[in-house]
Amino acid sequence: MAEVILSGLHKAFGQTKAIQDVSLTIGDGEFIVLLGPTGAGKTTLLRLVAGLEQPDAGTVAIGGWDATTTPPSDRDVAFVFQQYSLYPHLTVYENLAFPLRSPIRAMKEADIDAKVREIAALVRIDDKLNNQATRLSGGQMQRVAIARALVRSPSIYLMDEPLSSLDAKLRGDLRVELKRIQTVLGATILYVTHDQIEAMTLATRIGVMDRGQLVQVGTPREIYTDPVNMYVASRLGMPAINFLPLSVFPGLSAPSAAKTIGLRTEHLKIARSDSASAMGKVTWVEHLGDQDYLHIDVQNHDVVTLSDPDSGLKTGDMVRLTPALPLYFDGAGNRVRA
Amino acid sequence: MTGNHIPDALANRLATATPPKLAARVRGLSDKAIAWLFITPTMILLLAINIFPLIWTIRLSFTDFRANRTNAVVKGIGLDNYTSILTDPDIWAAMQSTAHFVFWTITMQTLIGFTLAYLLDRKFRGHGFWTTIILIPMMLSPAVVGNFWRFLYQPQIGLFNYIISFFTGVDPSSFEMIGSVTLAPWSIIIVDTWMWTPYVMLICLAGLRSIPDYIYEAAEVDRASTWRQFWSITIPMALPFIMLAVLFRGIENFKMFDMVNLLTSGGPGSTTEVASITLKREAFEKWRTGFSSAFAIILFVTVFGLANIYVKALNQVKSR
Repeated sequence: MAEVILSGLHKAFGQTKAIQDVSLTIGDGEFIVLLGPTGAGKTTLLRLVAGLEQPDAGTVAIGGWDATTTPPSDRDVAFVFQQYSLYPHLTVYENLAFPLRSPIRAMKEADIDAKVREIAALVRIDDKLNNQATRLSGGQMQRVAIARALVRSPSIYLMDEPLSSLDAKLRGDLRVELKRIQTVLGATILYVTHDQIEAMTLATRIGVMDRGQLVQVGTPREIYTDPVNMYVASRLGMPAINFLPLSVFPGLSAPSAAKTIGLRTEHLKIARSDSASAMGKVTWVEHLGDQDYLHIDVQNHDVVTLSDPDSGLKTGDMVRLTPALPLYFDGAGNRVRA
Repeated sequence: MTGNHIPDALANRLATATPPKLAARVRGLSDKAIAWLFITPTMILLLAINIFPLIWTIRLSFTDFRANRTNAVVKGIGLDNYTSILTDPDIWAAMQSTAHFVFWTITMQTLIGFTLAYLLDRKFRGHGFWTTIILIPMMLSPAVVGNFWRFLYQPQIGLFNYIISFFTGVDPSSFEMIGSVTLAPWSIIIVDTWMWTPYVMLICLAGLRSIPDYIYEAAEVDRASTWRQFWSITIPMALPFIMLAVLFRGIENFKMFDMVNLLTSGGPGSTTEVASITLKREAFEKWRTGFSSAFAIILFVTVFGLANIYVKALNQVKSR
């Protein structure tokens, strides 16, 4: 394991600027998750670290040496691809042994065998070792893909949405397992996803990406409670944060530059109210079992928030909303701190 | 829901209307009858030009029938034709030269074809243009190819001897490709390779293109050298395609006739007399129709049997 330092990376494909001035230090043993929608440049950044793409400007330093122009095979990184990328003509065992059989390593066959079996047990595919790699279910193939990275002890593990093609249940299971494995191995991981739950649960730090730029880097808690702008704020939280013009709440003592108020569930106190002091009307209640999604119409703005199923609120009820320590944003969408 | 209201009458019609079967509209023929109507001409044609001749040939192979003496009494002679073929040293010589020819054409075409495909698979400028250029020999008629290679092989005026002499310094008139006992088989192998390597290349290229880029990326990250990527990814994954090309060329070359007939007609002596040339001589020069029928059956069973074994192997590779 090693520290990986990206500084001032730029990468364009024709006219499209995929990566713009990205700098990031991934500490030894850190699990950094890059979060962002499709096309934000997450995968490109990962490929730059792997050496599968060359940056137009900037440097990639791995373990203290400049690897910017080093080919992938000499960087000692492991990559888990989104589309599995298993060697289809090989068995699971041979897929896992492939990276270890590299002549650079000169590993003994007995050691290879031991390592393959150890990692296969870790990701729980040890009963499938003799199967053809392509004759597995999606979840099993993804385990093999992760295991093929784990058999090595590279400087850094790079994972490109490794769980995105799995069903929800399996994704949940593998997520927990991945975190367990990372803790056991103390691995340095750079992980790409558009799934906020994966980001929140796996990351030691999250990097939020938007159109090729790294907008904010911080612990999941920091990103959630202290976002730098509306874009970051809207990345995390279920239901998503509500943005309302400040004018909706005239009595509020907001910072002078603030134009927009951002309200998550915990920023809102909701009380049933008589029509005189009421400011919103419940238009819809979604029952999710343990909690309800409350849709409230506030001066023609739809506010979605969580509520206790026992609150007794129902469609048509008039409510009063009181913001509690909300987030303020200026006209450009940047955070204004109180 | 008032906007897209369907009138009751229309709704009823929609609910009860079942499309009539196609057949009912075509003069009361059933669907099955129409199917037969379409298939029958093809089946008759197939029976007339494939199945019937095959059965007739099997029948003739047990007789001493000669096609140039239609009035002679035809005697059934049992397996005599087969035993005399299998004990005839000339036939075995012909089979041997066929095997020699098939082995070397396939080896050379596969090696050169795959190498060319591997080079063309890199995405360099103008690779489309070069692919087309390389494919030209394959598009020519064998008659044309045979005739102009006869000119090229001419010891006095042919280009081939001059090119060889240019590179090796051997006197161009000191050797004769078609006329020499040792060189004549190679003259055919060279022409066949020249003509059909592009075909093998095309199939190999399809195989190489079918390997996704991300497999190579994964291998590269897994620290596999180009050499190792070639042997543990490119070759195994393109193998079904290579094997298919070998199968096609093998069957074709086993019954190779046109090029041999045009270039050497089996000569000098009988050094290039492959099985199909022997067959033609027995059937249409010596008019031993029964004998040649038996030989044709033996050749057919041989190719069929070999191809079947091969296809089994191919399927095994493919299912991996």
